[in-house]
Amino acid sequence: MFQIRWLWKNIGHKQRVQFVAAMVLSAFTSTMLLINPTLTSELIDKVIVAQNPDPLIGILAAMLVVQCLRIGLRYLMIMFFEWSSQEMTYNLRVHLFKVLQYQELRFFDRNRTGDLMTRLSADLDWCRHFVAYLCYQVCDCVVMFVSTLILFFTISWKLTLTLAAVAPLLLIVTGLYKKKSRAKFIGMRERLADLNTAAQENIAGNRVVKAFAREEHEKKRFEQCNRRYRDANLDINKLWLTFYPFMEVLANAMTVITIFVGGAFIMLGEITAGELSIFTSLSWALSNPMRNLGTLINDLQRFGASANKIIEVYYSRPLIADRPDALPHPRSRGKIEFRGVSFSHGPVRVLEDISFTVEPGQTLAVMGPTGSGKTTLTQLLARFYDPQKGTVLVDDCDVRLWQLNDLRRHIGAATQDVFLFSDTVEGNIAFGDPALSVEEAKDFARRADADEFVEKMPEGYDTIVGERGVGLSGGQKQRIALARAMAVKPSILVLDDTTSALDMETESYIQKQLKRLPYHCTKIIIAQRISSVKDADQILVLKDGRIAEHGTHDELIRRPGYYRETYLLQNDLEDEGPAVAAAAVSVKGGKPHGEE
Amino acid sequence: MARNKFDVDENLESPFSFSHLKRAMKYIGRHRGKMLLALLFSSIASVTSLFGPKILEWTLDTAVPNKDFALLGLLAGGYVALVLVGIGFITIRSRIMAHVSQEIIYDIREDLFAHLQKLPFSYYDSRPAGKILVRVINYVNSVSDMLSNGIINSILEIINIIFIVIFMFGTNAVLAAIIVAGLPIFAAVILLLKPRQRRAWQGQSNKNSNYNAYLAESIDGVKVSQLFARQEENLSIMQRLASACRAAWLKAVVISNTVWFSSELMTQIVFTFMYIAGVYWMGGAMVSFGVLMAMGQYVSRFWQPITNLANIYNMFINNIAYLERIFETMDEPVTVGDAPDAVELPPIQGRVEFRDVTFGYEPEVNILEHIDLQVAPGQSIALVGPTGAGKTTVVNLISRFYNLTSGQILIDGEWDIAQVTLHSLRSQMGIMLQDSFIFSGTILDNLRYGRLDATEEEVVAAARAVCAHDFIMEMEKGYLTEVNERGSRLSQGQRQLIAFARTLLSDPRILILDEATSSIDTRTERLLQEGIQTLMKGRTSFIIAHRLSTIKHCDRILYIGDKGILEQGSHQELLAKRGLYYQLYTAQSRLGGVEEPAAYHAPSPANEPVLI
Repeated sequence: MFQIRWLWKNIGHKQRVQFVAAMVLSAFTSTMLLINPTLTSELIDKVIVAQNPDPLIGILAAMLVVQCLRIGLRYLMIMFFEWSSQEMTYNLRVHLFKVLQYQELRFFDRNRTGDLMTRLSADLDWCRHFVAYLCYQVCDCVVMFVSTLILFFTISWKLTLTLAAVAPLLLIVTGLYKKKSRAKFIGMRERLADLNTAAQENIAGNRVVKAFAREEHEKKRFEQCNRRYRDANLDINKLWLTFYPFMEVLANAMTVITIFVGGAFIMLGEITAGELSIFTSLSWALSNPMRNLGTLINDLQRFGASANKIIEVYYSRPLIADRPDALPHPRSRGKIEFRGVSFSHGPVRVLEDISFTVEPGQTLAVMGPTGSGKTTLTQLLARFYDPQKGTVLVDDCDVRLWQLNDLRRHIGAATQDVFLFSDTVEGNIAFGDPALSVEEAKDFARRADADEFVEKMPEGYDTIVGERGVGLSGGQKQRIALARAMAVKPSILVLDDTTSALDMETESYIQKQLKRLPYHCTKIIIAQRISSVKDADQILVLKDGRIAEHGTHDELIRRPGYYRETYLLQNDLEDEGPAVAAAAVSVKGGKPHGEE
Repeated sequence: MARNKFDVDENLESPFSFSHLKRAMKYIGRHRGKMLLALLFSSIASVTSLFGPKILEWTLDTAVPNKDFALLGLLAGGYVALVLVGIGFITIRSRIMAHVSQEIIYDIREDLFAHLQKLPFSYYDSRPAGKILVRVINYVNSVSDMLSNGIINSILEIINIIFIVIFMFGTNAVLAAIIVAGLPIFAAVILLLKPRQRRAWQGQSNKNSNYNAYLAESIDGVKVSQLFARQEENLSIMQRLASACRAAWLKAVVISNTVWFSSELMTQIVFTFMYIAGVYWMGGAMVSFGVLMAMGQYVSRFWQPITNLANIYNMFINNIAYLERIFETMDEPVTVGDAPDAVELPPIQGRVEFRDVTFGYEPEVNILEHIDLQVAPGQSIALVGPTGAGKTTVVNLISRFYNLTSGQILIDGEWDIAQVTLHSLRSQMGIMLQDSFIFSGTILDNLRYGRLDATEEEVVAAARAVCAHDFIMEMEKGYLTEVNERGSRLSQGQRQLIAFARTLLSDPRILILDEATSSIDTRTERLLQEGIQTLMKGRTSFIIAHRLSTIKHCDRILYIGDKGILEQGSHQELLAKRGLYYQLYTAQSRLGGVEEPAAYHAPSPANEPVLI
């Protein structure tokens, strides 16, 4: 029932009127089915039995009118259902899309793309099917059954009661079937989601599959999912076919009772032959709804299983969302502060007691071993997660008090795993700012050193690149992503290991460009290379989620620790004490460190 | 390369024809026996149902007027028996057909999937993943009913029609002629609607595929969208696509419903005419009551199957648009596939030879030209050069991810890679790609991807060798922790380590590392180096890395640029040569703060401080 209320909520006001009108039409046109058999009996009595052709045209015309009216109304009804169901599908799609777009990252850790796709395609289609078809089928069945029963009742209540006696039996059988099949329908839906996921991952990971020549393995895996889905279908079919004969027997019992009990009643003088002819000619109006009941239950079960899956997504609210007291921040200076921030992913502690401040315009560099929490740091800044302890502040305001989109609009980030949308190069660069002019897009591409190779592509900036930027080299993807981040003109620019796939020269060119950006911004640079971080105003070294070292390049190379060690490793030097390292730096040109 | 975007309709110009159905016979044909049996059972069930009216007639004409309760009981018994026989046969038929239709879906899907495995990178690179996905799942599901029950039912209905026509003409030829006369008109309506209906459903499947493509991409790229606060913009794109879906659907439905509408209308008109003709039969002399009643029954008995056929036909039209998509995918040429006379590559030594290799992704634009290269077994080769120069391309060619434009690549001096099976070639290579895709499943599963039968000890050993063991053990379920592609469980560096371990496990003769350590910190990388050095012993290896310190020890360094190998030699040789590599190295020293090798006392090419 909840599912139905939920769907109702998602049909627009205008479409609700249509839907209700359509339901009324469904009931009305179902009752209209009773008219023509009645007219036929008139025809038999008045024309054929009475051998009088005069009323023929009148009756035939009436029948034609009734039928034309009926199918006309029926057509209108179907279109009403189509309109309202399409409206509902559209509304649901929009709502679900919004939910997904604003959903926090944890949600995507739990839900695989293939599974979400199943919900938004196959499951949604069952909801559409419910509104567009199942609703009126149920209505037709009920109305036809009840109205026929009432008509019969006025003719012979004894015969009608005998007929109606079948109904409870049918209810028991269908109830039993419904109960037994429920779990199976849910199971089958899960198998479909598995199948979807298997295919989706195979497509997304096709490069890895080929690299390992794992085609056979993939086929086997897919075959397993494919087989399970098939077996789940057959399993339901088997259950259905054990119940189907009973339902069918009961439906046929209607006809049997009508004919033979009715026959007996005539013999006993309970009813006349003419009355029985109405019973026999309309017995289908009782048996058909009963016959359809089984299939309707199948469909309703599927709908139920699917609707629940969508409802799960529909009502899932991200924990990370705008607070009611969140303030708009049209501008930002770009000041960043972490105050005693601790964060864990489930039981795994990722960051522990992190505190630092970056003034507007400053550059903060973050280094540290793989998995030390560098990326998490930037994710907390953009509020992809909330810390369990401590506060992240931007412009001296807790990020939880920012409106999310404001906050993120002020942050331009190029992340490690580059995802490009299947769009033109220019469209990808302008991703964060669709109003960006072509000239500006090209300018930022130049700054990211992407201009040269983009111009060489067959259609230049209009070349369409694919998801995950396949078709481009790693370095090319990174440069487009960098241009995309710069192009939003953020007050905080985050570069998370964005230049790892670039050669040194390109990197140094980009470093230079970063200093000459046409706007003022605070920068956070995560990198493994000393060359990328040494000019930063402050350098943080994270280790096991804690700040292990904090200072400038000069300070850090003089202290034993991770930074110094990395510096020496990257310079191919043996550690002979702080003095040597310092000397190694100052030997060259006497310039401040790191500028050579 | 023509690429497809989420909002670009795919081009489908092939004219409607039943040739797709003919092709589908491949899948249906296997079940010919079962289908014939189902047809037989259905026919038996139909025939038994034909006796129903007869029994009714006897009941009302004989038993009731004679008040013969015994006969009534007998007839009731007979009727029940008929019903039971009918239900029995229908149940068996349904069971058979459920199997057939499930087998058909299963087979088509398997073939489609198998074919997708053969398609080259370029296929996947040139269209959104969502468009491929709907074909494998949704479209295959849609066509199954058409190919199983659709076919059986249409045959049944045709048989029904034939029987009824015979009965009708047997009863009264003139009235029968009137009833049948509606058929050509109805057929004309259908033929008139057909092309529009087909176009409308094609349009609908196109819009649907666009929507799905965008949806899949939006889910995969959600992090980027959120980061750029692009949700509103994305929503408006999605709304546009969803509106197009809705419009296309409604358009198609209007046309499809017209078919049903006209058949209902036709039934009533024919019925009316039949009665008028019957009553005014030959200038006033009426046909008998019985005949008229019977013919009245036949009208619906004749037109019901026709309406059913029209519905089945509707289903065919809708689904053939899907079937087309499926076959189109199956017809996608396997440009990189096993040659017809391909042989298994025996276990190799690891010698690699490029002979005058030219290659370009687009036909006109060559990335590499006339490359010659000889690599002895066990040699380690590093590739350096500017970003986008074609380093990745060179290694991709060794594994034959793309076909050469001209030239040859030989393994062990005698095996042309184009002439051996892809599986035997690639399974002897270990390739670590730039993008380290992680499958959903446990970390253990992901590591085992390198060698499916690796024992747990072997997996752990490989993880240890790449310094991944420690962080894996720190996760809550260790090697059994569930991870997935978009998930935030693993950092980029950790992903690389897992991808690395998985390559290690595959124990290849030829090892290819493409930026294997770019996201890994220097210290872990150093530790890794030792692991890699041991690993590289006895294997031919190709390494692409930007940090020159990681490749100095390679036997030979190739400087790739300007569509070819510009320099090659050992680190020392190349430095002595003072060419491009020397420049790269000194530039890196200068930019990276790396000391210049003292032995060469080279002046730095640029003395002015470089802003970073």
